[in-house]
Amino acid sequence: MAVYKRTYKAYDGPLTSPVSRFLVLQRYAFKSVFKSKSLFLGYVLCFIPPLIVLCTLYLNQNASLLALVGQKTGFMKINGSFFMNVLGFQGVLAGLLTAFVAPTLVAPDLVNGALSLYLSRPFSRAEYILGKGSVIATLGGALTLLPGLLIFIVQSSLMGWNWMLNNFYLATATVLISAILLAVFTLLGLAMSALVRWKIVAGALILAVFAIGKGFAAMIDSIMRTTSGVYIDIQYLIQRVAGDLFQTQGPPEDIPVAAAWVALLAICGLLLYIVNRKLRVCEVAG
Amino acid sequence: MTAPHIELEDLRVTLGKREILRGLNLELRARTVGLLGPNGAGKSTLINTLLGFWKPTAGTARVMGYDIRTHARQIRALIGYMPENDCFIANMPAISFVRLGAELSGLPAEQALERAHEALFYVGLGEARYRKLGAFSLGMKQMAKLAQAIVHSPKVLILDEPTNGLDPQARTRMIKLIQEMRDLGTMHIVVCSHLLRDIEETCEEAVILKAGQIVHYSNLEAERASNRRFVEIETEGDDGTFADAIEMLGCVCSVTAGKIRTVLPEGIEIRDIYRLAADRDIQLRRLNYRRDSLEDIFLKAMDMKEAVSGRL
Repeated sequence: MAVYKRTYKAYDGPLTSPVSRFLVLQRYAFKSVFKSKSLFLGYVLCFIPPLIVLCTLYLNQNASLLALVGQKTGFMKINGSFFMNVLGFQGVLAGLLTAFVAPTLVAPDLVNGALSLYLSRPFSRAEYILGKGSVIATLGGALTLLPGLLIFIVQSSLMGWNWMLNNFYLATATVLISAILLAVFTLLGLAMSALVRWKIVAGALILAVFAIGKGFAAMIDSIMRTTSGVYIDIQYLIQRVAGDLFQTQGPPEDIPVAAAWVALLAICGLLLYIVNRKLRVCEVAG
Repeated sequence: MTAPHIELEDLRVTLGKREILRGLNLELRARTVGLLGPNGAGKSTLINTLLGFWKPTAGTARVMGYDIRTHARQIRALIGYMPENDCFIANMPAISFVRLGAELSGLPAEQALERAHEALFYVGLGEARYRKLGAFSLGMKQMAKLAQAIVHSPKVLILDEPTNGLDPQARTRMIKLIQEMRDLGTMHIVVCSHLLRDIEETCEEAVILKAGQIVHYSNLEAERASNRRFVEIETEGDDGTFADAIEMLGCVCSVTAGKIRTVLPEGIEIRDIYRLAADRDIQLRRLNYRRDSLEDIFLKAMDMKEAVSGRL
């Protein structure tokens, strides 16, 4: 029917599956995120370090190049420590990206009261959170998980099956640490944006949580004369778990690894609670 | 008799420690129903409960036969909702805004786009559909909200204060659209408003809420019809006996400020009044059917409730 005709007719066509409906929100969110050219450029630049690493891996195994510089073996060791450093650097980039992207996803909806428009449709709060959160997770995953696994695959192809089988724990650790990073970044991004509702402040708060956590941890430790402050230091907790998974030297072992896992799960639970409390259509006092 | 599209069954909702809806029982069957009440009466809470935003503390409600406690998702697929407050998705052109709504309701992307164009043309925003919502006037935003509410062809359309903040011209357009949709007969419309004129112009039935209770439920058409026999007459050349003559016909009369007010009983028609005037050579300068306006009904309902609660 011609759209210029000012009439109303009922729709009786097919409907999409409710299971994949959160992807609609994800698609619109991606479109809005990449509308900013500077953000798009910044995101593309985030892939340069993994590219450099991949080139270095190749050069590290290139016999003619090594002969040229007088080396018999590679000039760097590809082990847990190497993977942890790469993932750490990419994790910082993913964190920065979260601080820029997350507030643009949720805060405007809350400020403009758009939640009632989403949730008055056959679309649940969980799907809303999943739709918005998956944007942060996908963007972050492309910066952490993807390069990590790619590096592992390239190194395996260069070194052969034996290396791959002997170092399979590196792939497992990469997946697990990426999952932790993405869960923390996604929930932190959604929670801070929902809490503050002001894009710039929410972005600053996301970054500050890492810095403030470290500062508070140090303060608690010096006042209470304990080492328990680290439980609120997200950076430390992730590093502690990563050190164990990558079987390498992590941060000082102030707490057991199991305790670090529990603390991270508790932090994720707390962030999820904030998201659940704040992302509601109506708020009631009292 | 048509099946009710909304049924309330001892519906109670408590927010915080305050009971907002206090045992509502009702069946709505009309095409358009007006939900009236002063601020804080519970109109918005009732809508939010039907949409599943609030859980009832007791009782339940059904929309098109689906229970709000167990079938919230199915209900929301049948409802089109135009919220009261200024809500939109920032930095989005109207076309994307309406399309997104359609896609979230389950329409495939292409059909959603086509329907979004149609809906925006229908509400009169065809020329502005590529403009961002943030740059819209309040009236245009209201129309965009209406477009997103009807884009997926809901069976029940809930309009919360649809004419809020509109200038007279925009209000007339909104009322006309509601009347048009009512006459199309493809959806049931619930208009929630505190503007009695809006309800009077668009609705067949009205529910009046006060302090979380239904204080009046009326079929506006029936109310209008029952008041048709209330007649107000102004005469010229009456020597004061015309009112007595009318009473002789069996009518109850009262005369104030030169106007005769009377209620015609069964069997007496207007033509009898004309005949009586002709016999007595009296000119009828004005003869009005005076009917209770919705305002009268509303005020009566408010008074009734206050009298019952002993606050008068």
